[in-house]
Amino acid sequence: MAFAIRRKRTRELLLIWFFLAPSLLIFLLYRIIPLLWNGVLSFEFWSPYKPAEFAGLYHYEEMLLYDDVFWQAFWNTAIFMASAPIGILIALLVAILVDTPIRGRNVYRTIVFMSYPVMTVAVGIIWQWLYNEKVGLFNYVLVSLGIVEQGIPFLETASLALPAVIVASIWQVLGFYMIILLTGLQNIQPSLYEAAAIDGANAWMRFRRITLPLLRPSIFLCFVIGIINSFTNFDLIYVMTDGGPSHATELLVTYIYRVAFKLAQFDYAAALTIVNFLFFVFLAWLANRLAGGEVGAVETG
Amino acid sequence: MAGVELRKVAKRFGDIEVVHGIDLVVRHNEFVVLVGPSGCGKSTVLRMIAGLEEITSGEIVIGDKVINELAPKDRDIAMVFQDYALYPHLTVFKNLSFGLEMQKIPAAEIRERVEAAANILNITDFLERKPRQLSGGQRQRVAMGRAIVRRPNVFLFDEPLSNLDAKLRTQMRTEIKKLHETVKTTVIYVTHDQVEAMTLAERIVVMRDGYVRQIGSPDEVYNRPNSIFVAGFIGAPTMNFIACRLTEGPQGLSLTLQDGSALPIPAELAERYGPQKNRDLVLGLRPEVFHQDEAPVVNGSRARIAPTIGVVEPLGSDTLFFFDLAGTEVVVRMPPLVGLRRGDTLPLTIDMGKMHLFDAATEQVL
Repeated sequence: MAFAIRRKRTRELLLIWFFLAPSLLIFLLYRIIPLLWNGVLSFEFWSPYKPAEFAGLYHYEEMLLYDDVFWQAFWNTAIFMASAPIGILIALLVAILVDTPIRGRNVYRTIVFMSYPVMTVAVGIIWQWLYNEKVGLFNYVLVSLGIVEQGIPFLETASLALPAVIVASIWQVLGFYMIILLTGLQNIQPSLYEAAAIDGANAWMRFRRITLPLLRPSIFLCFVIGIINSFTNFDLIYVMTDGGPSHATELLVTYIYRVAFKLAQFDYAAALTIVNFLFFVFLAWLANRLAGGEVGAVETG
Repeated sequence: MAGVELRKVAKRFGDIEVVHGIDLVVRHNEFVVLVGPSGCGKSTVLRMIAGLEEITSGEIVIGDKVINELAPKDRDIAMVFQDYALYPHLTVFKNLSFGLEMQKIPAAEIRERVEAAANILNITDFLERKPRQLSGGQRQRVAMGRAIVRRPNVFLFDEPLSNLDAKLRTQMRTEIKKLHETVKTTVIYVTHDQVEAMTLAERIVVMRDGYVRQIGSPDEVYNRPNSIFVAGFIGAPTMNFIACRLTEGPQGLSLTLQDGSALPIPAELAERYGPQKNRDLVLGLRPEVFHQDEAPVVNGSRARIAPTIGVVEPLGSDTLFFFDLAGTEVVVRMPPLVGLRRGDTLPLTIDMGKMHLFDAATEQVL
């Protein structure tokens, strides 16, 4: 009897591993091994032309103490990330507007959302044109209204390039934020607002004491997406500015790419990747803690 | 002192009028139930009183103030919602105190009032829990507690028991009645359940299609319904309606049914129904006016029938028998009769003194 049960369990286990194997293999080949090898690489002097040598913390020292571009890319990434709340705030306003019973709300909703499925490369090219010094829409408007004499080279000016790219990035993700927040808004029972109105809460109080707390899970989700976005926004930067001018829009991801594939310093790029990875893990942990158990605040059933 | 008065209150949504000029006076501390099938406008009336729907025309008076233009919070009302509408992110205590906080009442008094309400409703042990950790019945109590703490002049209940299971519903019904005795206030209660209406109300307002069909005490609407609709809506199992004509024969007035058989009309009702001769009428008989006794038939006070039993529904305390009477299915309520089955003959007498007679065309009582 016991033997039969054990045999059944073994068979089940075999089956489980059998089905898991393909995805595990891919995960191992393309995630785990590269990450480990990347870790090893970051402690070595490595070049395609000669055998590797142990370097200890040399690359990390170089990066943290002497590499100004690294720090610029680091802070640019942080700023990019910090802009997420602005996007979420705008999306929240749009979501509330679209949630009011106005004529043609579905049309507005679709229009706002339409930016999201557009390829990032296309978004980059469109915004590059919009920002263009000579033929861009923004400069055309500014010059026509007489606000400026000559077109402003947004993407070629060190102080304007990063905000300009961030605006494009917010525009792209806005529709997605809006859909998430709109779903959150529509999940709030209308009777809660009625109960609050009878309880004596004015519109602002209802927003602050009912809407905002109940939207917390949706806002948190947007925030996570925003953080991930700022770490992976390689394509938009690559198309619009390629990290320039003079690293003004350099993010950690674009810097890693530059160091590895343009400067061929794979060992140093590996060290940058590890730092980028740790930074990301830290943020994920922090976000998780901040969300602390309250993520499921919306009542179900 | 705060009664509620509705004067020609109407509500339109676009081109569709859903409430047609209703008049209603609810006295101070009275428990009034608005009852009717879904879509009859009863919830809309309640929501207009609460200030959650605008009043298209007419006036609503609470106390001695016309409150048409007042915001919900200034009407001195509290409302219990069908889905309870508890704030899911707040504890029970905070749910109760929210309204008081909004009124800027000092913290000490808030605590006192919340605890007093919690005591009345037996929810003291859950004050620190969130609504999702409570059962349906407990949520219902919290919803009522939120209304009580505000000490309003008028309580509005919008189908508060319809999300509960049958047993809990009966229990909470009793508690609401007790609550009204403890916390004397004017109550307007909306339900589609005629049993709730009968058990809770001091006066019932029966509504249909945006009109008030009858207002009266439970006894009045049950025993003296003014139309086929009210007669059929109040009472379960529902009243039996049988098409008939009034004819005069050698034995006096009688009702001729569609199969030609006749039921006598009691002498004391002859004068009342006499003028209706030879018109299409509808006879209404409640399931409990059928008896098995052998009482003597005096002056047409009783009719005898001997139908063949169709469906039998034993309820324990009573048994329902269904049978065919002149082409209409009729249900009667009997004490549990042992051994009677489908196909058996059930000799019955009908207490004709308790009959109702309606005009077939206008559906109004005669």
